[in-house]
Order: sequence, then C-alpha cells, then structure tokens
Amino acid sequence: MDSKSTSLDFAIIGHQESWQSITSFINGIRNASIEPLPVDKIKDVFGFMPPRDLFKITLKSKTGNEVNGVFIETFIDPDKLSARYLKTNISKVKKAISLASKLNAKLATLGGFTSIVLEGSRNEFKDISIKLTTGNTLTAGFILKGIEHACVQYDIRLEESNVLIIGATGDIGLACTHYLKQKVSTLLLNARNQRRLETLATSLRNEGVNVFCDTNLESLVPKADIIIAVASSKDILIGNTKNNVIICDAGYPKNLENRLLKKEDIILFHGGMGIINYGYTFSPNYKPFFYNYPVDNVAHGCVLEAVILAFEKKYENYSVGKGNITPEAISNIYQWALKHGVELAPFYNSKGLCKLFNTKV
Amino acid sequence: METLTNNFKSIEEFQVISDVFSQAITGELIGMSNFASLSGTIEDPFEKMEAIEHANGERQHAEGFMAYAKKTGLNININLNGSYWGRIRDVFLSYANKNDFIACLMIQEVMLEAFAVSMYTDVGRVLEDEAQKLFLSIAEEEKEHMDHSTEILRSELKKNPDDFIRKIEIIHYECMTILSEFSARTDLSGHCGVCHGDCMKNSLHHIGLDVVTMRGNALALYAEALDNIGIPGEKSVLWIANLPA
Ligand SMILES: NC(=O)C1=CN([C@@H]2O[C@H](COP(=O)(O)OP(=O)(O)OC[C@H]3O[C@@H](n4cnc5c(N)ncnc54)[C@H](OP(=O)(O)O)[C@@H]3O)[C@@H](O)[C@H]2O)C=CC1
Ligand SMILES: [Fe+2]
Ligand SMILES: [Fe+2]
Repeated sequence: MDSKSTSLDFAIIGHQESWQSITSFINGIRNASIEPLPVDKIKDVFGFMPPRDLFKITLKSKTGNEVNGVFIETFIDPDKLSARYLKTNISKVKKAISLASKLNAKLATLGGFTSIVLEGSRNEFKDISIKLTTGNTLTAGFILKGIEHACVQYDIRLEESNVLIIGATGDIGLACTHYLKQKVSTLLLNARNQRRLETLATSLRNEGVNVFCDTNLESLVPKADIIIAVASSKDILIGNTKNNVIICDAGYPKNLENRLLKKEDIILFHGGMGIINYGYTFSPNYKPFFYNYPVDNVAHGCVLEAVILAFEKKYENYSVGKGNITPEAISNIYQWALKHGVELAPFYNSKGLCKLFNTKV
Repeated sequence: METLTNNFKSIEEFQVISDVFSQAITGELIGMSNFASLSGTIEDPFEKMEAIEHANGERQHAEGFMAYAKKTGLNININLNGSYWGRIRDVFLSYANKNDFIACLMIQEVMLEAFAVSMYTDVGRVLEDEAQKLFLSIAEEEKEHMDHSTEILRSELKKNPDDFIRKIEIIHYECMTILSEFSARTDLSGHCGVCHGDCMKNSLHHIGLDVVTMRGNALALYAEALDNIGIPGEKSVLWIANLPA
C-alpha cells in the first residue's frame, strides 16, 4: 500500500529539462476522456506545485538483492534555472529534501540543478538523518570509463592524447581533471572564470602536469583529441575540431550536437550514464513519460550513485561540496557498480545508438 | 449608482476591491451555512458542538468583512446560489445529509480553506492598513482551522489508508473541479453571480494581483494540505493533473 510509511532505501530528487516533458507527463496521466492541456495551462498550475513524490523505483542487483526508492519531482521551472530564481529554486530543493526525509528515505541524490544546495554549507541539514549526495562521483566514473572505453574501441592511446575539459572548475570537471592528470599527455582546461581556472592550472603545473587553460574555448578545441563537456551551459560552440575527435557530452541542457560548427569526423556520445542489467522498474509505470533513451534500463550516474550506495548499504554523504571527488572514490563506486550488475551504458547520442561503440571490451 | 469614496485611488480599484470583499463575504457565509447544516444532521454531541463553533467562527469572519465594507462604502453583492458557490454548497450538503463529518471537514476545512488561506494572504499582502490586517488575520485563523482538521484527517487516514484515500479522491473530483473552474483564467462555467459586471479576474491588476498566481498559490497550498494529511504525492499529482484548467 502506498500510504504506509515503509522505509525507503533512497530518493532521487530531480527536475525536468523542459516544460515539454512536464506537459507530456501531465497529459499522460490525465484521464483519456478529458482533453489534453496546452503547455501554458500546465505552467499555470505546475509552475507553482510544491515538490511531490511521483513514482517508486525498484532495482535488482546481480547479487539478487533489491532496493526501493522514490522519484521526487521538485517542479523547479525549467525556464527559470538562472541565478535570478536561485532563492525560489533552493527553497524547492529544500522542501524536496524534507519530503524525502518524511518518506523515510535513507539517502537522497540531488540530480541536475538540485545538487547546488550541497555545494556550500550543509548546516541546515545537520538535524535531519537522511544522507545526501550529488551523485557526481559515479557520474564522473561513467564519463571517465566511457572515455577509456572509447580509446580502446578507436585504438587511441590516452597517454598520448590531449584532453579538453569544458567546465573544468566545476565539481565533475575537477573530478575528471584529477583522475586524468597522470594519465594523459596534456590537459586543456576551460571555464569562464579566469581566476579559478588559473589557480587550478597553477596547482596542476606544480604537480608536474602538462596543462593549458583558457577561457576562450576556440583556442583549445583545435588541440584536443578528446573533449569532455561538463558545463551547464547553452552557449558553448565547438568549431575547428581535429578529425575523429571524441566528445563526451555529459552536461545539461543536452544541446551540444547543435553547437558543433563541423559535424563530420566527430564521435560524440552522451556520457555519465550507466545501464542496469538485472531489473529496473517504475511504479506506477511512468517510464514512457520520464524515459527517453534509445536503450532500455539506462540511467544517469547521479541516480545510480544512490542505488549503488543502497545496494552496498553505505548510507553516507558520498559526494558533497565541490572539488572533493578523489580518483579512489571514483574507482570504489565504479567497482561496486560492477558488482551489482550496473555497467557503463552503451554509447548513444541524439540520433540513437552509436553502433561502432556497442560492443563490450 | 456606485460612489467612489476617498478610500480608493480609482473607480477600477474600488470595483475590484468591492468584488474581492463580495467573494470573501459570500465564501464565509457558505462556510457558516455549511457548518450550520452539518450541526443539524450529525448525532455525535462532540461533533455537533464542533460544527456550531465552526459556523460561528465563519459568521464572525463574514461580519468582519461586512463591517469594513460598510465603513468604506464598498459595493457588496452577496450570492450564495451563484454557479460556483451554489454547486459547492450542494456538494457539501450531500455529505452533510449523509452525516459524513469527515467528508464535510475535508470540503470545508481543507479544500475551501486552502483557497481561502492562500487567496486572503495574497490579497492581504497588496491591500493596505485595516483591509490588510483584516485579510491577514482571518487567513491566520483559517490556517488554524486547516491545521486542526488536518490532525483529525491524518488519524482517520491511519485507520484505513486505502478506504480513506478512495473517499478523498471522490470528494476531490466533486469539489475541486468546481473550485478549479471558478479560479481558472476565464470562468469555465459562466459568470459567478457575485462579481459586478465582468469577472474581477480581469481587473485584479488594478490592485497588483493576477488570477494565475492566486490560483497557482491556492492549488499549491491545497497540495501541501494533502501532503500533511498523508496523501501520497503520487496520488495528489494525479488528482490535480485531472482537474479542469
Ligand atoms: N550525466 C549525469 O548523470 C550528470 C550530469 N550532470 C551535468 O554535468 C554538468 C556539470 O555539473 P557540475 O560539475 O555539478 O556543475 P558545476 O556548476 O560544479 O560546474 C560547472 C562548470 O562549468 C563551467 N561553465 C559554466 N558555463 C560555462 C560556459 N559557458 N563555458 C565554459 N564553462 C562553463 C563552470 O565554470 P565558470 O562558471 O567559471 O564558467 C564550472 O566549471 C551539469 O550540466 C550537470 O547537469 C550532473 C550530474 C549528473
Ligand atoms: Fe472563515
Ligand atoms: Fe474556516
């Protein structure tokens, strides 16, 4: 029964990328006998809606264990993600966290924009027993394993490659930077804030890492063999790429494919994703509304981080703050994921599966 | 003939504030009548007394609004039989006639009160001085009614969650459909019979309000009220998604 307060292993706190997806969900759950609503009428109501648990999720591990969670939609307005609306959005995330706690979830992962509340001080959450994570460690793990996997497939030597990280000073960008710094020929780092970028580059140089940084993307792109895009921005433009450059697009909004000035000789996949091999179900089955990947049983690294921690019964604040993700933490969670039958997702992009990549190493 | 007293900046403001007070008074009188009807049908002495006490509370709210309206010369129209208020009253009476205290509480103290608390708060924030105090203090009292009833409903849910949720779902569609039509951008079931001339919804900007925000806030408070009772979010989102908009 749904109203019993049985304990939940995890909660996923998220938001939608566009009003279109909220609209298709709302119209999808409206009775077939009443007319579907236009997007403006849906905004009139759901633009104000407080966070709500929408469906339950059950996952099975390779070990036979099962974990149960819930998806909490924050109803953050997808058109209002900018700094101007920060206060309203943060208050929605906080309400979602209290809801997760009220639902007796042991751990909540904060997907997409919602992870912002874990970047700074967490004082206000110190009185609640629920553990919180951004899910960025496993996201970084899937991004990096994706890159390693692609290198094997394409016979590219990572240690001889120049790797460009767009969004290098962000949490995931930093995790990728530190993981790759001893494994590649040169790191090319990009973000908009020059001071933060320089500080990072200087500390890397002091460790003997070969690094270039620039706030101007154009000057870095032509040197890159591999590009990891982990900035949350609509304004990135990628031109002048090397032939057969590998691009892992792990940022949101997902629009990088439309931001490439040259589309030939580019291998682009959506990164940071994992696949669940032993069972992944929603109840009610809202998958048709919330699931739009070309392969079944794929999920974001940030979502899967909570799942893996639940499988491992490690209810802890696994990824919090900014710049705290270590290569060890990445390796650990990735190994646990494999143990439970959760692997790197097959490569795909907006056109569908990338066939070349689809074989396992 | 409408007369503009010096309490108002413009004729438009006078008219819209008159309509706002007319709706508030009508709503309070509906609440008063609802509880008065309930007190006549229920047997349980405790519930009977509760109902009378509630009815009296709503009467005092109506009197408060009326006194202000009289003092400032507002043009008040009271109509308990308009197309929305009348239907709401009918739904309530159908449960009062069945001695269904819980259903009546749900309609009056959760559904209607969520709208009252939210809308009075929005109105209170934009009006000034005494009118502001009046709306905000009544909103505060209505909020207490909501909280009090929420406790009763929460324990009722615990007794038999499945049956309770099924029952609330039926009441939701009966009552919230009317409130949803009433508060939509355009009246979905014709004129309310309370506002003068066209519906005040199109004139709310004269006092710095808009109907979309007021309705959005009210439905949000209703959703939170359902949460507080213990209705799963999965249900409330479905129920709200299925309302007319
Ligand atoms: N696939 C998955 O499972 C997941 C994906 N993500 C996505 O990954 C991305 C990064 O997340 P996270 O690291 O937490 O975010 P952060 O906010 O910590 O970092 C964002 C980084 O991008 C930089 N940036 C922002 N705009 C631009 C721009 N126009 N050009 C270049 N750099 C820019 C920022 O630096 P500056 O401000 O100086 O430019 C910063 O370095 C997000 O888009 C997020 O949605 C997150 C979690 C899971
Ligand atoms: Fe009242
Ligand atoms: Fe009341």
